[in-house]
Amino acid sequence: MEPPEDKRTPLDEAEGIILRWDSTASEEAREKMIFDSDRNEVDRYLQAVDEIQRSLSSTTINSESSSNSDESGLNSTIRIAMARLEDEFRNILLSHTAPLEAESMSFSSDPSSSTHSHGQIDDHEDEGEHDQGLKLDLNMSLKLAEQREEREEGEGEGGDSVADGAGSSRSSYRTTSSIREIDLVPSDAIYDLRSIAERMIAAGYLRECIQVYGSVRKSAVDASFRRLGIEKLSIGDVQRLEWDQLEAKIRRWIRAAKVCVRVLFASEKKLCEQIFENLGTDIDDACFVETVKGPAIQLFNLFEAISISRRSPEKLFKILDLHDALMVLIPDIDVVFEAKTAESIRIQAAEILSRLAEAARGILSEFENAVLREPSRVPVPGGTIHPLTRYVMNYISLISDYKQTLIELIVSKPSSGTRYGSDPTTPDMEFADELEGKTPLALHLIWVIVILQFNLEGKSKHYKDTSLAHLFMMNNVHYIVQKVKGSPELREMIGDDYLKKLTGKFRQAATNYQRATWVRVLYCLRDEGLHVSGSFSSGVSKSALRERFKSFNAMFEDVHRNQAQWLVPDAQLREELRISISEKLLPAYRSFLGRFRTHIESGKHPENYIKYSVDDLETAVLDFFEGYPVSQHIRRRSS
Amino acid sequence: MPATDNQGSFLNRISIRRNQVVSMDGNHEQELEDLELFQKHVADRFADLLSQSEDTLGDGLLSISWLRKLLDVFLCCEAEYKAILLLGRDPSQISKPPLDKLVPEFHDRVVKALDVCNAVSHAVETVRNYQKLAEIAVAALEQRPIGDGQVRRAKKALNSLMILLEEKEGSNHKWTERAWSFGRRSTNATTSSGKDRATSASQFRSLSWSMSRGWSAAKQIQAMSSNLVAPRGGESSSPALPVYIMSTITVFVMWALVAAIPCQERNGLLTHFPVSKQLGWAQSIIALQEKIAEEWKKKKEKNRLAGLLEETQRIERLGLSLIEFADSFQFPPDADRLDEVAVHVAELGETCKKMEKGLVPLQQQIREVFHRIVRSRTEVLDLLDQGGKVTASTM
Repeated sequence: MEPPEDKRTPLDEAEGIILRWDSTASEEAREKMIFDSDRNEVDRYLQAVDEIQRSLSSTTINSESSSNSDESGLNSTIRIAMARLEDEFRNILLSHTAPLEAESMSFSSDPSSSTHSHGQIDDHEDEGEHDQGLKLDLNMSLKLAEQREEREEGEGEGGDSVADGAGSSRSSYRTTSSIREIDLVPSDAIYDLRSIAERMIAAGYLRECIQVYGSVRKSAVDASFRRLGIEKLSIGDVQRLEWDQLEAKIRRWIRAAKVCVRVLFASEKKLCEQIFENLGTDIDDACFVETVKGPAIQLFNLFEAISISRRSPEKLFKILDLHDALMVLIPDIDVVFEAKTAESIRIQAAEILSRLAEAARGILSEFENAVLREPSRVPVPGGTIHPLTRYVMNYISLISDYKQTLIELIVSKPSSGTRYGSDPTTPDMEFADELEGKTPLALHLIWVIVILQFNLEGKSKHYKDTSLAHLFMMNNVHYIVQKVKGSPELREMIGDDYLKKLTGKFRQAATNYQRATWVRVLYCLRDEGLHVSGSFSSGVSKSALRERFKSFNAMFEDVHRNQAQWLVPDAQLREELRISISEKLLPAYRSFLGRFRTHIESGKHPENYIKYSVDDLETAVLDFFEGYPVSQHIRRRSS
Repeated sequence: MPATDNQGSFLNRISIRRNQVVSMDGNHEQELEDLELFQKHVADRFADLLSQSEDTLGDGLLSISWLRKLLDVFLCCEAEYKAILLLGRDPSQISKPPLDKLVPEFHDRVVKALDVCNAVSHAVETVRNYQKLAEIAVAALEQRPIGDGQVRRAKKALNSLMILLEEKEGSNHKWTERAWSFGRRSTNATTSSGKDRATSASQFRSLSWSMSRGWSAAKQIQAMSSNLVAPRGGESSSPALPVYIMSTITVFVMWALVAAIPCQERNGLLTHFPVSKQLGWAQSIIALQEKIAEEWKKKKEKNRLAGLLEETQRIERLGLSLIEFADSFQFPPDADRLDEVAVHVAELGETCKKMEKGLVPLQQQIREVFHRIVRSRTEVLDLLDQGGKVTASTM
């Protein structure tokens, strides 16, 4: 009804623009991108799409009035436009897919293999002999110590986004969200993407839009993953890796997980919102989930693989690190993956957290078992501290560092008594009054000490010399006490009552040692049997007296030679023990000498009988417990 | 899921009976009886699966609903197996022959199954991708009156779908074509943008795998079945037999999943693993295995390895016929032809709906299988631990 002079209607013009950019039609259209060119052209094109769209929707309403072919033509045009826009959309996305920059990954500058010197173990390296059959890797002691340092360093790490308060170290792990979104795509590009998305959705091309979006962003996320050092590993791969290698990886994964959730995924989510928000129901969520679901699960699978790997004591702390890292991340995960369609991701994260917790519990009980059954039978030379004792004590001090986590994870008492019943191969633990009100974790630690002592008692029986067995127990229990006292956390959990008990125990061992060695020696210095009854002249049997001196000399010499090889590593304890010996030995010898010296000196060759002066003995005692090698000639201290 | 419910009640039954007899001398007899029952249940459950596999209305062999039933069966058998292995058994028995060897072997196998679960679960996303593309075609072709625009839109989606479906192991070049509307830029990789696209396409390929490079579902299945030997002679009754039965079921289920879902590297997937034909409980498993193997060989000849999932195959078949329609489409369309197409479109739409409804639960169920395997393994390990007879375990 209204064919005007100007034949070109706005609709015709719009079709013209769209057909001009039909890349199946012209070389130019194929080579150039609209959004790379003049902004005016961009606007013209978008307006053209709108024009056609408008006309299409009005024809749908009164479809009777328009001929089929008209509509088909428009449909064809809109399809061409949509194909074009899909390509434009992809192109804009693709030109902004650089993976996250290093500075965005706040935790990435990691000289991960910094200080790993597993050279020396400790002062006494006799592991060679003892290693055989040890279930626990006793050489771990040093590593544990290292781990501890590392952890302390770790506390400070990531300070930029994790508000690690100084001071109370572990509480910092409870800090909540530190989501830090960054702009993955500059705002003008976002504006373009949004303009295109709007039109694709209006024309019913949402599915295509999501497809394109997902495929491009997925590979961008993948590139960032690789940059973060996140690998694709199967559970089988993880099980085959040496623990050392795995430890390094775990450290990397923890850092990566933080960056992924707080920066990478959060930014992806933001990008989806920027482009798709309010364009339709949950489109932003759909795109986001489509993009990151795979990567997120891949990341969590790594954590999961660790949680189901073979349980062994050395893994506990890395597992706890993973657990803590994930726990801190859970609130962020819940925020980032709040979408209904991302529910499975949230669930999986929670599942893995509980699986890690379960693994930690399992390892603790495995550890207890291993401590109980640690089978080495070769006595440590010199009765010094057993590697097992060092290992176990280092281990539980490290446990006390993880107190805050473990208190929540360890909720049942150790299964002493009940599980083993009257089994003589396991100790009893009386849950006496002093243990009332202790946390299950504290009870577990005490239980570990109980079974450690139990095991050590068993080992002490392999010493042929009972004195040495007592000295061994003294040394080891003393070491336990020192370690407990050295860690405020541990001391608090073990409690002073139990500590007193332990102190009593090593004192008792010291007393037992003294009895076992010195009663015999001092017995030579008694008066009985020396006096000859009925004799007026001297009243002392010279021959008996000579025998006494000889046996004293022989015995002391023997004890001296032996016990100079024994070792009390703690200087103070060594000193106290020597003083205690001197206090008994020297007065007794002095008085014996005072009473009987003249009898010997009046005879022949007194030097054969009185070999030691009091001073000599005093000096000789200083050689005790020094751990001199067997071959080395004992120093003669001449005064 | 009714099957899962059954399992609960069944477990109760067995555990109650066990507790009653545990202190009595009839323990061994009881064990044999339980074992008998276990074999019967296994036979019954797989017979059910076999009869369902005949369904021609889309819920037959390797359909989503059939796979879900298969996983249910796995869960039921697993629960029963665990009851037989653990309840009323002295833990020390597990560390004595023949279990001392069989149980670690079993655990080795199930850890491999865990990886298969992860790979398959991940690959379900690929299947969802098929669904998404098919949905585009459905949406376009459902419109009336139908025009050139809709047909071409559908064709583009279907072409992408076919490229995805046809993909052979390790190939990725086709992605480039798929990614671009007119297939035009793949030939022109010299421009910088073209190069970007090519790279991104090949990356996308690697993205779709969840495992390390070199991980192969086919090899995994191979490894799982390699030391699967039926117990003989004195060992042929309890307790070696239940371990063997459960191993066989595990291998079969994982194998079926891998055959159905296009997961990482299925080149050289076994088409046969040895299950002794004399075993009563294994008859249906053997029959199913043969059917699946048959399908697999057929597909392989055609070089289509998108997976034997019934829905996937249906999508493929319908997709091909719709492409044919699209290729010959001329406006105005022939009414008869249009009716025929409408039927196909409706069926495709139906299939997509089925996938929409079934794939997520399938994924969840795979996850449940994963959980169950982990839990059972942990329980057995704990038991061994408590027995204090910890051998230098390789589990």
